[in-house]
Amino acid sequence: MAVAIAVRVRFFARLREQAGTETEALHVQPGSSLAEIYDALRRRHPALEADHHAVRGAINQELSDWAAIPSDGDEVAFIPPVSGGR
Amino acid sequence: MRYDVTMGPIDARELEAVVSHPGAGAICTFSGIVRDNSRGQSVTHLDYEAYAEMAVPQMRKIGQEIKQRWPAARVAMAHRTGKLEIGEVSVVVSVSCPHRHEAFEACRWGIDRLKESVPIWKKEHAADGTYWIEGDEAKPAETR
Repeated sequence: MAVAIAVRVRFFARLREQAGTETEALHVQPGSSLAEIYDALRRRHPALEADHHAVRGAINQELSDWAAIPSDGDEVAFIPPVSGGR
Repeated sequence: MRYDVTMGPIDARELEAVVSHPGAGAICTFSGIVRDNSRGQSVTHLDYEAYAEMAVPQMRKIGQEIKQRWPAARVAMAHRTGKLEIGEVSVVVSVSCPHRHEAFEACRWGIDRLKESVPIWKKEHAADGTYWIEGDEAKPAETR
């Protein structure tokens, strides 16, 4: 079995409130995608937004696709859509 | 060029001083102000939350995009975080150009890009509850 990698997870705004935490250290299998990591986090924090379309993932402060795969030591963030407004 | 995410009050005149130079015949400054109503409800105050480590580079990127479109432009942007009362300044974009037409255009383009792409979120404390504003949607907050 491959050695797990460590990522630092950050939540913002509504997702931070749902998770009940701003930041979390997480160990995941190498090759885990953002989607897999988010789903693992949802099992831990069931109140987290279920709809992937209402969440964006970022790796090291860059918006990333759900299929993107973080590396050991990366910062992974899950963020809601930004305010927008007219 | 200056790009800030700050807890403290924003002074628009300070950003104008950053973009001002002898060749700039026009400075256009947009200030976003906390309004006392939203969605037909009265609003008591707002909370802004930022992913600052991502927001500042994104602002810088918008500044570079403005420079590509309007090469003579100079840009400064600041967004506030934390609790804001009605009438306070939440965001300022200031752009200087040789002439007014491109200053207006570049400033408007800059604030529109900021609003749609910089990771900063608004929590609205209104008469009917507390909501996170996400694009066109107001979603109930977990905590007040």
